[in-house]
Amino acid sequence: MTTFIARGLLQLPVVLLALSLLIFGMMQFLTPEQRAATYVRTEQQAKNIDLIIRQYNLDKGFWAQYTTWLNQVLHGNLGYSKQSHEPVLTTIRKRLPVWTELAIFMFFPTLAFGIWMGTLAATHRDKLIDQFVRVFAIAGWSLPTFVLGIWLLAVLYGYFHCCGIGRADDKYLIEFAKGTLKTYTGMITIDGLLNGRPNVTFSGLKHLVMPVLTYMVVASAQIMRVLRSSMLDVLNSDYVRTARAKGLPERVVNLKHARHNAIIPIVTIAGLMFTFMLEGVFFIEIIFNIPGLGQWAVPAAIQLDFPAVIGIALLTGVIVSIANLVVDILYGIIDPRISFQ
Amino acid sequence: MNPQEMKPEREPWYRSKTFKRFRRNPLAIVGALLLLAFVLVAFMAPAITAPQLASIPAARPCLRDLGIKRSEVMDTLRNPLSPVFWKATLAPPESCYNIPRDGFSPLPKPPSEKHPMGVSGGGYDVMYGLVWGTRTAFYVGFLVVGITLSIGIVVGGLAGFIGGAVDNFIMRVTDVMLSFPRLVFVMIIAVIFGSGLTTVMLAMAVVGWAGYARFFRGDILRTKAQEFVDAARALGASPMRVFAKHVFPNAIGTLLILASMDVGSIVLAASGFSFLGLGAPVGYADWGQMISFARDYILGSAQGTPFDYWYVSVYPSLMLVLFGLAWNLLGDAVRDALDPKS
Repeated sequence: MTTFIARGLLQLPVVLLALSLLIFGMMQFLTPEQRAATYVRTEQQAKNIDLIIRQYNLDKGFWAQYTTWLNQVLHGNLGYSKQSHEPVLTTIRKRLPVWTELAIFMFFPTLAFGIWMGTLAATHRDKLIDQFVRVFAIAGWSLPTFVLGIWLLAVLYGYFHCCGIGRADDKYLIEFAKGTLKTYTGMITIDGLLNGRPNVTFSGLKHLVMPVLTYMVVASAQIMRVLRSSMLDVLNSDYVRTARAKGLPERVVNLKHARHNAIIPIVTIAGLMFTFMLEGVFFIEIIFNIPGLGQWAVPAAIQLDFPAVIGIALLTGVIVSIANLVVDILYGIIDPRISFQ
Repeated sequence: MNPQEMKPEREPWYRSKTFKRFRRNPLAIVGALLLLAFVLVAFMAPAITAPQLASIPAARPCLRDLGIKRSEVMDTLRNPLSPVFWKATLAPPESCYNIPRDGFSPLPKPPSEKHPMGVSGGGYDVMYGLVWGTRTAFYVGFLVVGITLSIGIVVGGLAGFIGGAVDNFIMRVTDVMLSFPRLVFVMIIAVIFGSGLTTVMLAMAVVGWAGYARFFRGDILRTKAQEFVDAARALGASPMRVFAKHVFPNAIGTLLILASMDVGSIVLAASGFSFLGLGAPVGYADWGQMISFARDYILGSAQGTPFDYWYVSVYPSLMLVLFGLAWNLLGDAVRDALDPKS
């Protein structure tokens, strides 16, 4: 198991390097002047663009450019974003906690809900709950995130005045800005508890209802379907019959014997769902007015704010590579046969 | 006996068990009918929107490119005997895809006789955008699936054919591509090449092939392990011939069918990008853009009246959801028919 994890960790820098090469390679489609704009902060610097081109080796060969660029990136210089009027890294640092909070609340409840409903559908095959899951899965899969988000916004927020948009109630956000509430992690739900103000946490959670609900309906469908079918396969196998014959309670057979084996394909799906979530968060931030990474990066892309987009691409590359590693390790944990190969 | 006669008779596809299973699935019929309706709407777009073309002055560029006057619109565009009808239906000029604006009022107008589905903020006729947007949807869907599939077949085929280290390398790349979100890729390409429908389609094709490549490679490996391939090799066929004549044709069928069912999800994704403003230019008939027009009016005019402007959001999203549903129902039925176990 240890060598298995170590091998994955060793692969990580290679993957990251390859990704950075890919991203830098795509940047070659831009002129040196455009790429130099990455490092331009003021009007004055824009006038002396030749200096910047020379300073960052943008007039040299590919490898000289690449190593200079990579060196800058590794030292945290991702350039200057015109969209946020500050260095890209500063913006990312400011917005990453918001994004992370949303992502955590979107990903794990959806995963749990999908696994729960999938199990129920398989153990109650062809009963009412199974039919419900089937309809829910097809409907959820046909609904794009942004359409469902807009509908929920109109009905829940517009009509029922429930839940609220943004991160938390305005009065708490003002307190955070004034400093009467301290910012520890940047995540409202955690900061509220750390400040000893559960009502702040509650407000944060209330504002997460619509984003999480939107994502849950859209993304849990796939998990339910895959788990249902793999669970049905396993439930028909001999060792499950043996377990039943031993007189084990139905719950133990279903959850311990059957689901443990049926869940292996779910790891793959969860990996894909994670990728899908990276996309979904951006939509959800824009629809529900949450100041995370997407609310900055998408307008930046439309405004051709190129450093911001490259920064997001690099960040996504890191997140995705780590997620892949985690998925690989999870495979090893859930199915020990894999890690012994 | 003549060896030609010994050839086993090929079963026509419409008599195969798989197709029978597909045909007997009621959901498949619903999906197929829905899709047929969309195809009809796309095909008849000029005829359906003829009243708008005739009555909205801003539609003039389209009429000019078609070479007709405003007074002739109703007679020509709904008359299959007129050559203009066929020109407008089969090869409409690009200008017809721009939604004609009826005034520039920022407030939406409710459905009326002139605008059966209302007017979006900025004077965009909702029905015109949706009807011509159906064409955009099919265009985007089929083109992206086509390009993606071609790349996927080449890459997956290479991995399966050569095997070994090449296979390993290609599969690593595939893993990374599979887990890289499309939206970020679209953003990169949009920043480099400028945003637009072509850019979005390009980005989706460049990033989307990985799934097909992996699937196709798996099918090739499975086919390679079968006896008839061994038999061909034992008869002395070269590796190239074995691959081209025996492995490839037998491995590709399932991929083609499954990939063609992805048109729906591609369209949903592309309209999502349009919704964000990364897709079609403003005013181009596209469902995602119609929904983004609706964004400012989602909460209605005053607090507590969110459904004042229901028509700007309900019709476009309904179109999109029904389109996705049609393809999903079909796709589900196809998967069930191919794999009766599940």
